[in-house]
Amino acid sequence: MSQALPAFRQSQALSLGVELELQLVSRRDFDLTRAATDLLGKLKYDGRFGEIKLEITESMIEVSTQAQTTVDAIAADLDGLCATLRAQSERHNVGICGGGAHAFHHWPDRRISPGERFDALYQRYGYLAKQFTVFGQHIHIGCASADDAIWLTQALAPYMPTFIALSASSPFVDGQDTLFQSARLNAVSAFPLSGQCPPLADWADFTRHFEFLAACGIVTGIKDLYWDVRPKPEFGTVEIRVCDTPLAVEQAVALAALAQALARWLLRTRPPLHTERQGYVARFNKFQACRYGMAASISDPVALCVKPLGDSIRDLLDSLQDDAQALNCARWLTLLRATITDGGDAAWLRQRQQEYGNLNDVVRACQERFLRGGG
Amino acid sequence: MTYPLADPARGLPDWLSDSLYFLPSLPERIDPLALFALLLLLGLFVGEWLQARVGWPKLIGYVLAGSIFGPSLLGWISVDTLHKIQPLADAELGLLMLEVGRRLDPGWLWRSRELLWGTLGDSLLSFLFIFAFAHYGVGLSPAWSAATAAITMASAPAVVLLAVEQFRAQGQVTERIILHTAISCAASFVAFTLVLGVVHAEQNHAWLSVIAHPLWVGGSSLVVAMLAARLALGIARLLPKSSLAQVFVLIACALLAVGVAHMVAAPVYLTLFMMGVALAVNDQRQSLRYAALPEGHWLLSIILFIVVGASLPWSEFTWATAAQALGLLAARAAAKLAAPTLTNLSLPWRKRLLIGIGIQPLSVTAVFMTHELAGLYPESGLSALTLPLFAAAIMELIGPALCWLALRRAGECREN
Repeated sequence: MSQALPAFRQSQALSLGVELELQLVSRRDFDLTRAATDLLGKLKYDGRFGEIKLEITESMIEVSTQAQTTVDAIAADLDGLCATLRAQSERHNVGICGGGAHAFHHWPDRRISPGERFDALYQRYGYLAKQFTVFGQHIHIGCASADDAIWLTQALAPYMPTFIALSASSPFVDGQDTLFQSARLNAVSAFPLSGQCPPLADWADFTRHFEFLAACGIVTGIKDLYWDVRPKPEFGTVEIRVCDTPLAVEQAVALAALAQALARWLLRTRPPLHTERQGYVARFNKFQACRYGMAASISDPVALCVKPLGDSIRDLLDSLQDDAQALNCARWLTLLRATITDGGDAAWLRQRQQEYGNLNDVVRACQERFLRGGG
Repeated sequence: MTYPLADPARGLPDWLSDSLYFLPSLPERIDPLALFALLLLLGLFVGEWLQARVGWPKLIGYVLAGSIFGPSLLGWISVDTLHKIQPLADAELGLLMLEVGRRLDPGWLWRSRELLWGTLGDSLLSFLFIFAFAHYGVGLSPAWSAATAAITMASAPAVVLLAVEQFRAQGQVTERIILHTAISCAASFVAFTLVLGVVHAEQNHAWLSVIAHPLWVGGSSLVVAMLAARLALGIARLLPKSSLAQVFVLIACALLAVGVAHMVAAPVYLTLFMMGVALAVNDQRQSLRYAALPEGHWLLSIILFIVVGASLPWSEFTWATAAQALGLLAARAAAKLAAPTLTNLSLPWRKRLLIGIGIQPLSVTAVFMTHELAGLYPESGLSALTLPLFAAAIMELIGPALCWLALRRAGECREN
């Protein structure tokens, strides 16, 4: 039976929340391991920095911050969550690391986490649920009204290649270099309701669309929509879902800063959206960003040309300076400028692979990088 | 009917013998390769049947096959056959001891004090409880009681590692069972080495033996282990990580250590365990860290457990000895349940209890240690060490099931 679409709960405009899905690895060989329920079993934690939760398989764990108004507060929450998790993982001899996909794990070895929801997902999606052992960062941006949320959902869509390229950290899958910068999104694409939000004008339009999907028997709740950007009425937010979990917490914070500054700029300037035209090129642009990262050629359906993504991101960061200053998050955006030139996490992973000649040591290095704390 | 070209005075057998001269005479003994294959088939048949029909771990089937067809019962596997096949069993035992040594993670013990206390408590309580039972309950002398405790205190690396591998178990119960097993093996070997001196002191008061024998056993094992580990790491550094060549280097160096240990009369299990620890501790560049034993070692594990089953003294079974062995196992079980349950506080009590159940299997090294020690003083040792041997016999049959039960109840085995 379909659930009613929950009412949109207003939240403070431009407030932030971040979710990170993290890898749980064996410290012996750095393969993914079954550890999530053990880590959470007797975790002594009062919830002051946010939540630590199970994810679809036992080799994943999700941390989510409190709703915060500043990026610095998000950074503090993530540091607190990761420190809590680190201390617990030390006791259990489990490694924790970032990255959008594990470099060499064998998906049939994954165990579905206990719980009705996870069991239902496994029954519904079969092996896709186990292959969904990929690790993303979700960024929530608070919206003052439901209509703003739908408008922002549409307005953010053309910027998804930017978020994909800046967070790309999944070049290896099944022990192979995929030649992609972010191979994680290929696993997400297998789900029937993944992709882009269709052109919708306002909350009423979204409600009609959701009811249509529910009447067709396609969705039973908002969680069934695996869109790249989607409204989250329970939180009163818009959720960006395309980012790989970066290898360091600092990069995750920087991406949240970008989301906040970009949302402010969009809501402040209200540029024309061209949603239908953007819809035609969205999949192509997403593929380009996943495959080539900063070197992607992004199609502009309005100017009718192709632009190098790296240059576009540089221009975007320049144009967001004032908003970032106003939000007191400008220093975080400088981290992203470095990513444009050094190739980011995907390049770092490939360099480690070149250096070590094997992927076990690459994951070991990821774990050490994550363990260093604060990044 | 006449036989052409044959002397009519001679019978058919002679004629056939003359005509078919190229055929070999009936063999007096079975070819070693054929023997190996037959034992494999025997173990596989019983193990697979037991798992398919009763749902028990295959290891129990292998031990049962060895027990039933061994010298104590049907006698199809003779003592001579056992001696022939012993090197293969030693090789597998060595490889498994090497593996459990490699799994010993001092870093985890350092970071988690509850585990440190838990594993030390397991070894200490097991030794004390068994010693107290053997000395006060059964009436063995202090030296033989200490020997009994040293021999039977360790959990079974072979059973644990093979069960984890068979059921693809992952999780805290699995990892902690492995760590407890590794530490209890280390403690057992230290205790056994010291006990050698105590037994010499009690039996013949030859003070040179009291000091020299434990030193030789410990020292020679350590030297062989360190040299073999160094050799393995030295060669492995020249090869691509996780390559098949590295796996072969690891196995070759382990087998070399087994051979040299035989030559210098050092216990194989102790040498290979030390080699595993040396590899784990000295492998700063992670040269061999990711090299895993190939699945083919399952073949050798079948032989190992058949040999163990065939070495068990079922022919000497008496109800009194069985009762004493059960008493020893009860004392040991109490220690092994208490230590992890009282210490692993970061886990729910149910999982702590499951760790206690999972470490109940008794190491096959007990059988080999018993034979080694009994060989020193056959007149008194054989009778004194019947107790640990029977305890081992019972646990070889029950232990794998307990380990499997713990892993399964912990929800750590792979589905299907």
